[in-house]
Amino acid sequence: MSRSNARATALLQYLLLLIGLAVFIGPLLWLVSTMLKTQGQSLEFPPRWIPDPVTTEAFSRLFRSLPLAWHWLGNSLLIAVLVAIGTVLSGSLVAFGFARTQARSKNALFIVLMATMMIPYQTTLIPLYLIYKNIGWYDTWLPLIVPSYLAGAFYVFLFRQFFLTVPRELDEATYIDGGTSWTVYTRILLPLSVPVLMTGAIFAFVFSWADFFSPFLFLQTAEKYTFIIGLQLLIGTQSQDLPALAAGSMISLLPIAILYLFAQRYFTEGVVLTGTKG
Amino acid sequence: MRSQMREELKFLGYILPWLVGFLLFFLVPAGASMVYSFTDYNAIKPPHSVGWSNYSRLFEDPIYLKSLRNTLFFVFIGVPCNLLFQILVSSLLNVPRRGVSLFRTFYYLPYLVPMIATVMIFRLIFSTDYGIVNHALDWFGIAKIGWLEKEAFAKPIIVLMNMWAAGSGILIFLAALKGVPRHLYEAATMDGAGKIRSFFVITLPMITPAILFSLVMQMIANFQLFTEAYLLNKGGPNYASSTYMLNTYNTGFRDFKFGLAMAQSWILTLIILVITVVVLATSRRWVYYEGGDNR
Repeated sequence: MSRSNARATALLQYLLLLIGLAVFIGPLLWLVSTMLKTQGQSLEFPPRWIPDPVTTEAFSRLFRSLPLAWHWLGNSLLIAVLVAIGTVLSGSLVAFGFARTQARSKNALFIVLMATMMIPYQTTLIPLYLIYKNIGWYDTWLPLIVPSYLAGAFYVFLFRQFFLTVPRELDEATYIDGGTSWTVYTRILLPLSVPVLMTGAIFAFVFSWADFFSPFLFLQTAEKYTFIIGLQLLIGTQSQDLPALAAGSMISLLPIAILYLFAQRYFTEGVVLTGTKG
Repeated sequence: MRSQMREELKFLGYILPWLVGFLLFFLVPAGASMVYSFTDYNAIKPPHSVGWSNYSRLFEDPIYLKSLRNTLFFVFIGVPCNLLFQILVSSLLNVPRRGVSLFRTFYYLPYLVPMIATVMIFRLIFSTDYGIVNHALDWFGIAKIGWLEKEAFAKPIIVLMNMWAAGSGILIFLAALKGVPRHLYEAATMDGAGKIRSFFVITLPMITPAILFSLVMQMIANFQLFTEAYLLNKGGPNYASSTYMLNTYNTGFRDFKFGLAMAQSWILTLIILVITVVVLATSRRWVYYEGGDNR
């Protein structure tokens, strides 16, 4: 290949990468642009990329029309943190059982666990809703939080894959020193698995924070809403206030974006380890 | 014998959280939904058995059938488009250029955007009167298009939303591409194969395991599509983007026909299982497994 040819290839590749960047980031920039406009300017045609004047009025209007917004943000944060903790505690415990005990029933139950990942959630959705109503869990956070303390199959699989890479010689040394399997779990495997546990916690946090379906179905009282559900009210009532809608959307994605910025490694490793999609 | 028993108990002790969840939050509700799907249960009156009528009358319900067809569109047209897009973008991110990892960081970001924000963004962009898309078309002298009002665009816009948020799929293919041994490309080049030929004879076969995995996961996810359609337009206009799950949601939570809704859920579960099994069964013919005898 000649030199100028190689340069043309490089140029073409960078050009394509930039087009991709515009596709993936352009819409987010448009969101930022809209949220910084006055309401009048957001309704102009042709629209402008750079707001003039730049204003944060949209945020004041947002919090005025959604007086519970701060409260909802607190709810979302609390629920997501509790879910992340539950996911790591229960997921790692169950994963340890599958990775490090010699029970005969182990393989059969592992197949059952994997099968539950393939079975669509709506099979159980409506009866679960009716059960929650009957046991008084409807319109509480329990349906959002409790399942995460009962070991989701995906996280068990994620943690188990990692535990299997930890050498068994470490277990044996612990047993020789008089330790039990509990010692192995708490003193050996958990400390060595911090990165994958972080990945699990972050994914659980993000999915809980961004979840629409469960809180939408199980919460009724406005005080108990998550931010995502509260924001949905705005679509109905303030559908003409585009800057406020954009500001609300920005708030909904900001915590995740910040987390991503600081913990990018855990996000990408998690995806590659298990290949999840939502 | 005793020690085997103890090992068994220890195992059950560790997996207890999952066991409880599996029994109480999966097996019990799944069993209940099977039983109730043969009743007229509406949460107010005690249920009466109605035999198979919940199942048989579905096929006379035009909105049910339309929602089913829409869902099949997402699964059989949307998913392949999405996979193709993800493979193309991941190939682009696989070029050995400086700064490419920075692009990867940004390409992944939309995947993390909560669906409600994604929907708002698409409403802004595709807005008839104020949207940037119609503005761009304006340059070329094309009149404003009612993207969100026309039936024809309802489903393609949701497919586009899924493409925009395809970051995790892109990363899976990128990992697969990086796993293709370099010496295969060198051998192909020596045999006189060009870039495009190498892609088809080496890259594509080598990433078939990732294609299978993504295909199955994304098909299952698209069969259950709900949030996008609900938030964008409540399945409208004229049920053009109503999905199977949206219809089931309406049957249960708007019309309170829980028995019927559970019958619908079971049919969808069955469809998903059959299609997943078919895909997995045919995968032996087209998926390359390293070390396996590739028939």
